Amino acid sequence: MTEDLGNEQAVVRLTAVRKEYGESVALDGVSLEIHAGEAVAVMGPSGSGKSTLLSMVAGLDRPTSGAVVVHGDDLGSLNEKGLALFRRRRIGMIFQFFNLLDDLSALDNVALAAQLTGTSAAHARKRALELFEELGIGDRRNTYPAQLSGGERQRVAVARALMNRPAILLADEPTGALDTRAGEQVMDLLLDLNQIGQTLLLVTHDQQLATRCASRVIDFVDGQIAGERSLERTS
Amino acid sequence: MSAVWPVSRAAVRRRRVQTVVIGVVVLLSTTMIVVALGLLAASSGPFDQAYARQSGAHLVASYDPSKVSDSQLTKSASAAKAYSGPFAMATLGQGLNGNFGAPESLVTVGRADPGGPVDRLNVWKGRWAAKAGEIVLNRNPTASEGFGAPTLGSTMRLAGQTLTIVGFAYSVSQSADAWVAPAQMTSLKPTATQMLYRFAQAATNEQVSAGQTAVTSGLPSGALVGTQSYLGLRALATGEPNTFVPFLMVFGWLGLAVAVLIVANVVSGAVVSGFKHIGVLKSLGFTPTQVMAVYLTMISIPAIVGCAGGTVLGNVLAESLLTRAFENYGAEGVTVPIWVDVVVVLGVPVLVALSALLPSLRARSLSAAEAISAGSAPRAGRGLRVQRWLSGTRLPRSVSLGLGLPFARPARTALTLAAVVLGVTSVTLAVGLGKSLTTYQTAASRVDAVDVSLFAPPDNGGPAPNDPQAPPAPKLSDAADEALIRSTPGAVSVTASTDLPMRLAGTSTDLRVSFYRGDFEQLGYRILDGRWFDGPGQVVVSERFLRQRGLAVGDTITLQSEGKTVRAQIVGKAMYNSGDEVLSNWQTLALVAPSLRASLYEINVKPGTDLDAFVQAVQKGDSGLMRTDGQDAGTFVAIVLATVVLLTLMLGTVAALGVFNTVILNTRERRRDLGMLKSIGMTPAQVTVMVVTSMAALGALGGVLGIPLGIIAHRLVVPAMANGAQVAIPAFMLDVYPWSLLTLLILAGILIAAAGAYFPARSAAHTTIAKVLHNE
Ligand SMILES: Nc1ncnc2c1ncn2[C@@H]1O[C@H](COP(=O)(O)OP(=O)(O)OP(=O)(O)O)[C@@H](O)[C@H]1O
Ligand SMILES: [Mg+2]
Repeated sequence: MTEDLGNEQAVVRLTAVRKEYGESVALDGVSLEIHAGEAVAVMGPSGSGKSTLLSMVAGLDRPTSGAVVVHGDDLGSLNEKGLALFRRRRIGMIFQFFNLLDDLSALDNVALAAQLTGTSAAHARKRALELFEELGIGDRRNTYPAQLSGGERQRVAVARALMNRPAILLADEPTGALDTRAGEQVMDLLLDLNQIGQTLLLVTHDQQLATRCASRVIDFVDGQIAGERSLERTS
Repeated sequence: MSAVWPVSRAAVRRRRVQTVVIGVVVLLSTTMIVVALGLLAASSGPFDQAYARQSGAHLVASYDPSKVSDSQLTKSASAAKAYSGPFAMATLGQGLNGNFGAPESLVTVGRADPGGPVDRLNVWKGRWAAKAGEIVLNRNPTASEGFGAPTLGSTMRLAGQTLTIVGFAYSVSQSADAWVAPAQMTSLKPTATQMLYRFAQAATNEQVSAGQTAVTSGLPSGALVGTQSYLGLRALATGEPNTFVPFLMVFGWLGLAVAVLIVANVVSGAVVSGFKHIGVLKSLGFTPTQVMAVYLTMISIPAIVGCAGGTVLGNVLAESLLTRAFENYGAEGVTVPIWVDVVVVLGVPVLVALSALLPSLRARSLSAAEAISAGSAPRAGRGLRVQRWLSGTRLPRSVSLGLGLPFARPARTALTLAAVVLGVTSVTLAVGLGKSLTTYQTAASRVDAVDVSLFAPPDNGGPAPNDPQAPPAPKLSDAADEALIRSTPGAVSVTASTDLPMRLAGTSTDLRVSFYRGDFEQLGYRILDGRWFDGPGQVVVSERFLRQRGLAVGDTITLQSEGKTVRAQIVGKAMYNSGDEVLSNWQTLALVAPSLRASLYEINVKPGTDLDAFVQAVQKGDSGLMRTDGQDAGTFVAIVLATVVLLTLMLGTVAALGVFNTVILNTRERRRDLGMLKSIGMTPAQVTVMVVTSMAALGALGGVLGIPLGIIAHRLVVPAMANGAQVAIPAFMLDVYPWSLLTLLILAGILIAAAGAYFPARSAAHTTIAKVLHNE
């Protein structure tokens, strides 16, 4: 699905990234690489800097020091507008609380992502509808987010994230707000995506989610990488 | 930009309250501005245009030919930008057989040419007087020709000579009543020399005075007999409407200011409550500028629709208003000038956009990571301490929780409070302005001051205004009529009066002087300064009369009528609008026209007296007395009052909507808190009570802060407006806020806030907990 930069080349490369919020240090010298087609899970206690890491990769925030390179773009060299353009082309994000736009129907939420890159509304809707069918929520397309169940909302969010064929899909506790069954559906979805080549960076507390979806787990403690393990996927 | 549109459009469609509030606020403000600007433009427009076209005189001066020569006048006139003259001038009596409707005396000027650098006359009928025996009269082409008015080709006798009317001309400068050829003038024995000047600057009294000093400085003392400033004429021509236009303008500006503040407030509210929305947009890859564009577009759509609607509505309102207001003044089909529409259609959206700009810039610069995590973790702090203290009080738990709620999010609360204070302040000011203006107008036009008026038609040949066919004449003498009325059961006070057109020496504008006898203190006039007259040669005038002529109470003026001159001291200033009406007493009339009888008896009766029976009883004694309508508010005044009430309501609505919107946003934002409270065991009713309490408390606080601000604003604005309108506002008219009204205003504030909170609170309280928590 993604543009092939060669297996050897890293899609994400962080070098000595440090992020401070006033006194507190959220990331403390983090260096890591994620290669195309990998599925990486980040685990760790609350407040250890997992979400901050995702913000860095997504270009939502800038590191205090260190370099972030994603898909060949050095984020430090981009201005705010450059970062926005980078996000819409390279990044897909999924959040714990979905973050859909309440004013737009499910389908329009998804189509919007494509419209941002200049796709016409008709084309964007067509592609969104294809994704809806693939994700099994085709019948919910004209519903507004408030009327959707949590699992359905998360699938809409996944569809939105996939819309522009991102270089990397970032997910922050994607099952955190869902019951077991809905959580499992989302897990399966992510796994399927990774198996067809989608690079994945996943933050979770959920050991089951990590072992099921990820090939590699990075453990975070106090803003630092405490360890790394490779996993045999269970499914 | 392709992605901006769907997001903005969706927001416009789905955030209905916000869209409607912005639309209505802008619509009402635009309407107010169009009405106010339209009135302003139309009130001076016709006069100014005519003046420019005729190159009208800024100063008309008359000189004593025995003291100053023509060549001296020509030489000193070079200080002006342009001048015409010198022209010989005489004030001629027409004799009492006179033509009804024509002035008693004619200011006649000898002029060879209607054109020239200053006061280019419009000879709109007939031709200019070319030789002796011909005369041209000054008449406004739009003026209705009164009964018996002189016609073209007819003759008139002036100073013993018969002159043929060969034309009608119109001088906006009002430089004369009639013109003759210079050759004719010599035989009319001129008593004065006229000079007409235009100055480089003549916008203010100071500038006109400076010009006057420049052209008269080198002349012998006593040479200048009289002057007439263009500004006085302008004020007269624009007349009564001008009193009210400044008042209406204030409403217009106030409406605009309130609209700007409320739009800014609504947009701030949208941005504050839209933190997460902004974060999501940014995480999707909206650039900062696109985010700003989304917020600006979201506001601009209803604003543009509101502006268009307001312009149409304003034009319709202003047009019917203007046409009615100016019908007496000879204008037909007065419309709002096109520039007003252009200014409003372009200006209002720009203003709205500007007011939305600051909060939109905030949306633009908001950090994406922060915005997206906003709201997920409410901050602990001072708010909790207040809530803990409140929970220790003996209030019901839901009330104490509700009172503590505003402290949980201080920034949001401050925004809501600002909206409430703003709303209450503008409503207070608007209500106060409306009340002051209505009080003033009722007092100044003496509405209902007199119970019944009886008219004694003059027996000197003039037709009575009510019945030109068969004028009944009073059967008894003046004194007998007054005695008859006084002795009729029920009469409490009787004032007899008559009117006389008179001229202030040195000017060519007619004054209407009313002479009173009897209980004139009961007429409803309020003395603002000085006192009523108590002897011969005394007058009472209006503030505007003093302003327009640069006079003060205590000064002496010279009044002329039918060749008689009377010097009168201004002993008092009374409250009424007209600048060309003078009040005086019977002793003063005796100096001018001792034979004149009273033409009007104004009577107050004992409460409960049957007015019809009273009038019949009087008419049994003298069937020639006719009942007339007393002083009632004229059409213009009625229109102004209706407008003021309308504008006050509009302003109130606008302010209330702003508050309503903020409260709704605020309450919606709290749905999560509400779900949480229900999850710990509160009933829906308790939740509703809690939220409504918190907002009502904010409303009360807003009232307590906003009302004094509104009163202060009222105290500053009203005197400034009165000054601009050349009227005097006595202090009592500033005391328009009785306690009952203040209580009402506070209650209104509380009610609006509570209503804004009730609906979203109720819906939140009745949705299931899971759904509420889930939705966030
Ligand atoms: N915008 C911010 N301002 C100030 N401090 C912040 C901000 N965002 C994060 N932090 C701090 O940085 C640290 C890391 O936060 P982060 O959100 O990355 O943790 P996390 O690992 O995602 O935790 P959780 O598992 O609870 O989501 C925390 O101490 C947090 O308080
Ligand atoms: Mg986190």
